Amino acid sequence: MLRRGLRLIRHLVALHPVAYALGALGATAYVSAIVAAAVVIGNVTDDLIIPVLDAGTDPAGLVWPALFAIAGVALWKAIGITFRRAGAGWLQSRCQADVRRRLIDYMLRLELRWHQHRGVGDLLAVADSDAGSATWILAPLPYATGTLLLLVGTATLILLIDPMLAVIAVIALALIIAIDVRGSWLTFGMFESIQRRRGEVARVVHESFDGALTVKALGREQFETNRLRIASEALRDDLTRIGTVWAGYRVLVEGALSAVIVILLVFGAARIGAGAMTGGELVTIAYLFSLLTIPVRVVGFVLWDLAHSSASWTRVQHVYDSAQLVEYGQLLPRSGGTGAAVTTSPVAFAYEEEQILRDVEMPIDAGRTVAIVGPTGSGKSTIALLLARLWDPSSGVIRLDDRDLRDFARAALPGEVGFVSQETFVFDDTVRANIAVGAYPTPEAVATASRLARAHEFIEQLPHGYDTMLGERGTTLSGGQRQRVALARALVRLPRLLILDDATSSVDASVEAEILAALKEAELPSTIVIVAYRRSSILLADEVIYVEDGRVAGRGRHEDLLAIPGYAEILEAYEEQDGEAAGVAP
Amino acid sequence: MTTEPAAPEAQPGIWETEIGTVTALRRVLHVAPELRRGIWVTVVLAALGTAIALVVPIIVQVLVDTELLAGEAIDMRNVIERGAVALGAMALAMIVRRAALVRLAVRAAAGLSELRVRAFAHIHDLSLLYVQSERRGALVSRVTSDITAIQDFMEWGGVGMLVGTAQALLAILAMLVYRWQLALFVVGAAAIYTLLLIWFQNILRRGHDRVRQRVGITLGTMSEAISGLSTIRAYGAEDQTMDRVSEALDSQARVEIRTAWFGAMLFSSAELFAGLITAGVVAIGVATPIADATSAGTLIAFLFLVNLLVEPLQTLVETLEQAQAAAAGIRRILNVLDTPTEIPNPGGTELLLPAGPLALDLESVSYRYPGGRDDVVVDVSLQIAPGKRIAVVGKTGSGKSTFAKLVTRLLEPQGGEICVGGIPIDHVGFSELRNRVGFVPQEGFLFDASVADNIRYGQVDATDAVVAAACHDLGLTEWVAGLPGGLATIAGERGSQLSAGERQLVALVRAWISQPDLLVLDEATSAVDAALEVRLRNAMQAATAGRTSVTIAHRLSTAEAADEVLVFDRGRLVERGSHRELLRAGGTYAALHADWAAGATAAS
Repeated sequence: MLRRGLRLIRHLVALHPVAYALGALGATAYVSAIVAAAVVIGNVTDDLIIPVLDAGTDPAGLVWPALFAIAGVALWKAIGITFRRAGAGWLQSRCQADVRRRLIDYMLRLELRWHQHRGVGDLLAVADSDAGSATWILAPLPYATGTLLLLVGTATLILLIDPMLAVIAVIALALIIAIDVRGSWLTFGMFESIQRRRGEVARVVHESFDGALTVKALGREQFETNRLRIASEALRDDLTRIGTVWAGYRVLVEGALSAVIVILLVFGAARIGAGAMTGGELVTIAYLFSLLTIPVRVVGFVLWDLAHSSASWTRVQHVYDSAQLVEYGQLLPRSGGTGAAVTTSPVAFAYEEEQILRDVEMPIDAGRTVAIVGPTGSGKSTIALLLARLWDPSSGVIRLDDRDLRDFARAALPGEVGFVSQETFVFDDTVRANIAVGAYPTPEAVATASRLARAHEFIEQLPHGYDTMLGERGTTLSGGQRQRVALARALVRLPRLLILDDATSSVDASVEAEILAALKEAELPSTIVIVAYRRSSILLADEVIYVEDGRVAGRGRHEDLLAIPGYAEILEAYEEQDGEAAGVAP
Repeated sequence: MTTEPAAPEAQPGIWETEIGTVTALRRVLHVAPELRRGIWVTVVLAALGTAIALVVPIIVQVLVDTELLAGEAIDMRNVIERGAVALGAMALAMIVRRAALVRLAVRAAAGLSELRVRAFAHIHDLSLLYVQSERRGALVSRVTSDITAIQDFMEWGGVGMLVGTAQALLAILAMLVYRWQLALFVVGAAAIYTLLLIWFQNILRRGHDRVRQRVGITLGTMSEAISGLSTIRAYGAEDQTMDRVSEALDSQARVEIRTAWFGAMLFSSAELFAGLITAGVVAIGVATPIADATSAGTLIAFLFLVNLLVEPLQTLVETLEQAQAAAAGIRRILNVLDTPTEIPNPGGTELLLPAGPLALDLESVSYRYPGGRDDVVVDVSLQIAPGKRIAVVGKTGSGKSTFAKLVTRLLEPQGGEICVGGIPIDHVGFSELRNRVGFVPQEGFLFDASVADNIRYGQVDATDAVVAAACHDLGLTEWVAGLPGGLATIAGERGSQLSAGERQLVALVRAWISQPDLLVLDEATSAVDAALEVRLRNAMQAATAGRTSVTIAHRLSTAEAADEVLVFDRGRLVERGSHRELLRAGGTYAALHADWAAGATAAS
């Protein structure tokens, strides 16, 4: 652990050496000021206080130098502290930003498969709390550097005054630090369990509040409260335990330092009696020790932070080590107002050992509208994801106008392919920016695309029209409105291949009908692939591909495919679902 | 919130808020009595325990004056005796101090756990938890991070404040006993410094507020980059996203560093100040008339005592910050506890519902969401006879889902009256109402537990056999057998291991298992695969048989199977009748129907 911790420190300090140097310099100034302060107080005792108050010497001429020495040392100490703390803050803030930047950049390059595997919450926790606490160690680092010097300085100073007292002091300091380190270790183990308990409390609260409607509808509030009580009281018991242990160590360390001062005073008195040192020198030693309370405890804090930061850093490193980056080529998008043709070699796809697609071949002619139909779990959505290169096939090649999708440069493929899925993501930005994302369309183009997606009307009615903020801090859109914005987002770039994966599931039936009709009328310069969950969208297609159990089980005109029993069954179900009573209608 | 004036020692900025800090503290002690128990004993113990710190200056003074400067040979016997007394006093003080710290930790943990449970229970009584779901995150932090902030304060800052205050007071006391003139100088100077400190601390606090704001923005952009990745990649917005993240990170770091500089200077000022006071004490102690009656030991003791006084002041800078965070947390929790329950359990005698299928009567019922401009349910009056199977249809936003929540008293209408089984719904006790009226929400929420446990959520004492029988009765035995672990299958977080349709199936069994006499169903909108669709429909048929049922229909097949259809449009009940009657009438229902039919007929 220690070696890993030191590697982490080296890595982070190397990112911003100047900040660290500033902090360490400040810390050095600070500790030298502590030693100097003790020496000054000792000298003031010997040369001013004792002569004047004990022997009745005239203070004139002695007071001012003493005052300047005391105030000067204090100023020196204050400057040291300022630089020590500011340097530490600078180092920590910059390193934290760097670690996070690198992580997010890396995550943006990782394969989606990997994201799916880890989960959004987990990854965000790494970027937020782990990247944060991995740099905690930097906060006390300059102080710790200074403390090492302080311990050496203290030992040296006492050694210069009296070797016997020096031996006592060094043994005592070593013992106190050992106690402190032990206390830190013990409480650190407990702290980890507290973090787990806190996580458990948060989990219960999140789940219970998310399911509030169910809880209420079934009258289970008391049940839920008991569930939380159990989690909360487990946390309470752990907190009580750590509090008890920690109180013991804290009192022991603080008390021990004071006790050592008393012991040093007793031995010191004997040494003064033997003529080995002066009263002022004894005051110096006692004063120095009284200033050591906090620096000594820094050792424990550092170990604590080091353990914590190392654990977090391991989780950060894990993201880097996973190394499933998407690889890109050099190709740039081809503009031009025609649909693109799709060709494939037999494509297979597996996710976590489950074979989802096998031997799928699906050439699509330029400008055609094709519907992909199949039962749940047949792999039809996966085909859509592969066509948009959100995932790569396990084997086989997909080509757009004879160019392998993997040969496109990063962010180049979206210049030709527009993809709209059922789950829409809205950015914390204006409506316009949400539609424009990644491209630079004119306001007219945005409006045209919105009209086509039947979004223009409701956007115009938002408080600030296209400049209305959406997302967490902005206006909340309904599911159907979000889907229409997402559709406009795809349409605005006039994609040569447009992929719609259940893209209008939350839109009212009549509006959906309008959208589909508009798409058909607009004669887009696009090849369109629709993963269909409704009969109405199937009917829009020139051609239907029927997928069953990860294979293409049929392909052709809708009427012809009805001969396939599976296809007919699905269509029948869709029909009942959509408008069972169509036949009843007059 | 309250008109109570702030405490007289109040400083503007620190204490000014809707609830004064002092009031907030008093109230939180009242709400969580565990915190209050034996608090004075703890304070007294903490004060006594602080005496450790005083032992050193006193022994220094005694040794210097009685032995080192006594002019005779040092009597080691005396020295050792005094040292032993000092060590004994110190050991005693350590024991007392530990006791105080332990008491504090135990009480804080117990009291805050109690406060958390209480706030949690109260939040569950607030309908805004499901009405304004966007505020849910804030409510979660009331019982998690806000409590943690108070905990952190009590454990670190609070202890420091308590011990520090005691230490400062004892140091002042010792100074007064030694030489009151010098003590006055020290206390006066420290008071001036404290005022300056508090003033600057306000500036520092604003800096920290800015940092917090930046942290929020950074978190937002990072979470957008991660959760929106597939959209970002599908639209080639990687660079744009990275620029935003980078910009947020940099401005956060800039604001943090600026605040760190200011904080560092403020923190270090205490050292400078301690130096100035020490210099002042030396000057006054040796070069003024006060020197005449001051012993060398006393003046040296003063040098130690000044440090004891200034040290707590220095930590005050950091503690105040924590104290304010804790006070803000307390205030937010109190605000939640002060929010009245909109839908209270009726007090006094709770009425019971008549046995058997329940009738439903609405008389001019209107409902408007809090902060909304228009009523979403407008003046709805209707009667539903016991045992009828009712379907409610309408476009998105027609108020039909709100209607479902009104008749289950998950929402309370602003106008009109709702009667279940002839009894006003707000006079029926909650336990009776939830037992007799079942509700299946649109999104079947499942807990991260087994399917059986999720079903049992509707009837806690149901055995596995009862659960299995319930599934059988709704024709789901085959479906259960198809699950990887049968009824023991773990549903996953929010039911993620099951499809949306399957979640609704479980939610249906869950509501049905307690055999409610009125069943209200809000159908899921999401696409369901054909086989499951049939299952769901059959299960709904079985579940609604023999009882009054109201189904918010998103599929017209549901409407067709109903005894009667209620048609909602913009919050009003515009049509009611059987499917056939309504089609023939050629009104809203017929138009709605035509939408669907259009898609279907275009094919043939």
